[in-house]
Amino acid sequence: MTTRPSDYLTKRLTDQMTRITIPIGPQHPALKEPLSFLLTVEGERIVESVLRLGYVHRGIERICQNRNYVQNVHVVERVCGICSHIHTTVYCQGVEALLGLQVPPRALYLRTLLCELERIHSHMLWLGVLAENVGFTTIFMYAWRDREIVLDIMEELSGGRVAHAVNVIGGVRVDVDEPQVDSILMRLDELEQRIETLLGVIQHERTFQVRTRGVGHLSAEQVRRYCVVGPTARASGVDVDMRRDAPYAAYDRLDFRVITAEEGDVWARTMVRVPETIESLHMCQQLLTGLPDGPTTVRARRRVPPGEVVSRAEAPRGELIYYIRSDGSDRPARVKIRTPTLPALSTLPDQLRGVHTADVPAVLAGVDLCIACADR
Amino acid sequence: MLMEAILQALRETFPAETIEARAVPIGETFVALPPDCLHPAAQVLVERFDLRHLSTITGQDTGSAIELLYHFWDGGGLTLRTSLPREEPHIATLTDLIPGAAFYEREVCEMLGVTFDGHPDPRALLLPDDWDKEQLPMRMTNDQSIDHPTKRLPDQETHRPND
Repeated sequence: MTTRPSDYLTKRLTDQMTRITIPIGPQHPALKEPLSFLLTVEGERIVESVLRLGYVHRGIERICQNRNYVQNVHVVERVCGICSHIHTTVYCQGVEALLGLQVPPRALYLRTLLCELERIHSHMLWLGVLAENVGFTTIFMYAWRDREIVLDIMEELSGGRVAHAVNVIGGVRVDVDEPQVDSILMRLDELEQRIETLLGVIQHERTFQVRTRGVGHLSAEQVRRYCVVGPTARASGVDVDMRRDAPYAAYDRLDFRVITAEEGDVWARTMVRVPETIESLHMCQQLLTGLPDGPTTVRARRRVPPGEVVSRAEAPRGELIYYIRSDGSDRPARVKIRTPTLPALSTLPDQLRGVHTADVPAVLAGVDLCIACADR
Repeated sequence: MLMEAILQALRETFPAETIEARAVPIGETFVALPPDCLHPAAQVLVERFDLRHLSTITGQDTGSAIELLYHFWDGGGLTLRTSLPREEPHIATLTDLIPGAAFYEREVCEMLGVTFDGHPDPRALLLPDDWDKEQLPMRMTNDQSIDHPTKRLPDQETHRPND
């Protein structure tokens, strides 16, 4: 029996298509933050992936035990470089609950305003990163240009583009006056028009759909198995949102929709996050027009009575939870932080299985990873 | 309403234990259980109430024991609390019921030295590969030697509040 040359070649090629393991990260041009993957590929398809975290672990929980409650406001703000305000919000509302403080309504409104501005900035940043990762550089440029509007507003309010230091235990340290409110409302209107334009472009751009539809799929069952939270869960049809389910700050006084989608892929996540940004803009408008008068802070004692508290909130990436235990001194005995990225990371091996190597950046961007948050 | 039904079910499952619920701000219910009841209790939550969202596991060294807090969420917070001895603490894993618990258990394991029996992948989550396994960062040590700022900043005491 003779073997024809073409058969021989086919066999050689199939033999060579054995599994190859490729290390990606912790330092890699495609990654925005240090994270390490071992991807095992068969040809172009990924069959297995192993994740390694911890490259930006700073031991923040331990640091918190060694600082007093006031200092810790600034420590927890540095857990994340994107959603810094929500960390101080959750921390401060936990400590305020331990102290039994009634935070003035104006402070709660301003706190919520910053939360929503931060969500807009985080989602627009995400849209830019995703667009760049799927090769749609124009949207990356436009999304990040338009994001400057909201960053300017936050800088005007707090003095910082990303680290705002707005929250203090017992309220907020900033205030707005009438002309400022009008100016912010005007710019938010402009931003809304621009986001509507971006949404229109994405919805009708075929290349964007081809790169995102069916990529990084998570079923509702997988979402629940891995305890995934936030927009990633909502894009798989799991309707959870801490702002509605456990209203904190001023969310019980706001009228808003929780956006969900059914498909569970990167496309669905886009169709949740971008409309959610517009919803956040409407919430900012409600907050600014309905801003109550009164003080922005109450005095807080620096020693916290013994007790424990579980504080939860909806960060831009989903449910953020803090557990704080006080032993009666001026320093917390334990601060436990769980950021929404951690459960999202544990789904990555499932999401990457069977995906083309070229789609890996789209999958990674799709869940909106924040490695600094996950590592703490 | 749901919390009362859960408590009732837990009391029926463990008739020998006194199960007390304690309200903790903000809208959280704490239930203390012995370590060997924790996995069956989680099974009750998952199978009878479809309560599968484990927000996280907090591990803390109280000085006399290692405490684990399992924070669940379903419209309201429910935390199952259990205490383990400081010497060789171990407890059954929840990953067979809730695969999402894997990361949280790995973190508690490396930070406090708690062994989760039956965990499919008990590698370190955050600490470096060459980290000394005997060094448990979140354990209280007698000298509190791990980066205590009062030892490095002599004027720290002057910042102490006087309320």
